[in-house]
Amino acid sequence: MIEVQNVTKKFNGKTILNGINFHVHKGEVFGFLGPNGAGKTTTLRIILGLLDPTSGEAHVFREYLGSNNELRRKVGILLENDGLYDGLSAYKNLDYYAQLYNVPDREEKIKNLLDFAGLTKRKGDKVGTFSKGMKRKLGLARAMIHDPDVLLLDEPSSGLDPEAQRMVRDLILHLAKEKRTIFLNSHDLDEVQKICSKIAILHRGTMQAYDRVENLRNKFSNPVFEITLTDAANAKNAFDLLQSLDYVSDCKLYGLGITATLKEENYSNILNELVGNGIKVEEAKKLAKSLEDVYLDVVKGE
Amino acid sequence: MSISKIFIVAKKEMMGIIKTKSQMLVGLFFALWFSVMTAPVIKTVEESVVFDTYNNLMFYFVLMLGIFTAFIFSPKVFFNEKREGNIETLLCTPLSLRQIWSGKVVGVTIVAYLIALLAAVLMTIIANIFSTSMLLPSPAIFLHIVLVVPAFIAVAVGLLGFGHLLLGMRENQIINISIFIVIFFALSLTKNVIGVGFAVSWIEVGVLLMVAVLLLALISYLTRYLSKERIVTTIA
Repeated sequence: MIEVQNVTKKFNGKTILNGINFHVHKGEVFGFLGPNGAGKTTTLRIILGLLDPTSGEAHVFREYLGSNNELRRKVGILLENDGLYDGLSAYKNLDYYAQLYNVPDREEKIKNLLDFAGLTKRKGDKVGTFSKGMKRKLGLARAMIHDPDVLLLDEPSSGLDPEAQRMVRDLILHLAKEKRTIFLNSHDLDEVQKICSKIAILHRGTMQAYDRVENLRNKFSNPVFEITLTDAANAKNAFDLLQSLDYVSDCKLYGLGITATLKEENYSNILNELVGNGIKVEEAKKLAKSLEDVYLDVVKGE
Repeated sequence: MSISKIFIVAKKEMMGIIKTKSQMLVGLFFALWFSVMTAPVIKTVEESVVFDTYNNLMFYFVLMLGIFTAFIFSPKVFFNEKREGNIETLLCTPLSLRQIWSGKVVGVTIVAYLIALLAAVLMTIIANIFSTSMLLPSPAIFLHIVLVVPAFIAVAVGLLGFGHLLLGMRENQIINISIFIVIFFALSLTKNVIGVGFAVSWIEVGVLLMVAVLLLALISYLTRYLSKERIVTTIA
């Protein structure tokens, strides 16, 4: 559906993107992560044909979007700007885009989308009077006015309060259930973790990681083991022991608890060592790495 | 090029201008003000040249006012859309860049032309108040108002729109202020530039029409040099 092959972009001799590669398949929700200034929006603009790559190619449905007016009917976008006109009502905004996309039965379609965005009661109000969250939801409705197969969303919940963020996230999940392909540009790790099946991490214009979320967790994260001891003396002994093990890279003691970061998955050995040294363990568990941990590992490890 | 798409954009821009009260009031105010300030020159000329003077006034004033009004309306349609970033979304619709540009040019031209027509009517009414004989535009001036004026308004809007899309925000602001001063000065000179003893003929009108058509073709050609990348990279 979306193919980005070896894309490099330079502005005034400065390299903004350096050999970016990824594919987004049909029905996938793809998260494109990176800190501010990493090159996410530039990549999105290249996919949309708003910018030309210095080298490499970016295709949607195997074609270049910038020069194919008809192909753009299959693609919905929500950029940093909502693409809405403050002087027009919510209804008129959707109606304008519905006409541009030549949407059949547009009255019915607009009604459904206003319902979907929870803005039916405000349909006659000028968009300039809307909150940022309402504009974002209306922007998402606008992006879907022509039933696109592919949606490219740039920071869809940026600047929204938690309730509005959740609503936008639910809307995206709803779209994903309809088997639409979604490209999500974001630096909100929590959002991406909850929505996306596959991610790429971009940092300073270079792809640092690209895989399914679970695979990245396994690939980039060292296993972490958390144990709780029965008393302070046990905790101190366990801490000293763990620090002496060569396959433990990091160890932290807090009260009766210890977290140990391992160089390799070696949980059973640790337990054997502790029990073998007469240390009484009350509880032991493997910790799941969050996407945030993976992201920080990737970005810091660049 | 799909004409219907152009008219969808044109209609939206027209309605946008008409519903922006401040802009419409400015346009209408200048139409009224320059008409009131200029038309009384009729009472200062000899009866034998009243008709020619009136036609000369119509020839110059209606054209300049149309261009001035176009200048007032164009920034909202091109510059603001670029500054607010909506142009990026519009560029991702099935419209080509030239369709977007054309739609905006048509939308602004229609409203600016309607105000120029209103100014022509006002000018005629005021001129008749100060004249003992009935004053109406000559056939050549009538053709000028019907064809040349809208063509030149379209040229002005097209050129301004081209500049707004091509240039960065700072350059646009400087150019806008410079053009405003030039057009305002030109309008203020209306009374002085109308030479007595000179009558606008079919030849002048025909030449101007040809110039307008050539300029329109030239500007339309220039839009080839507009690119999405150029627009996007000059937004901020």
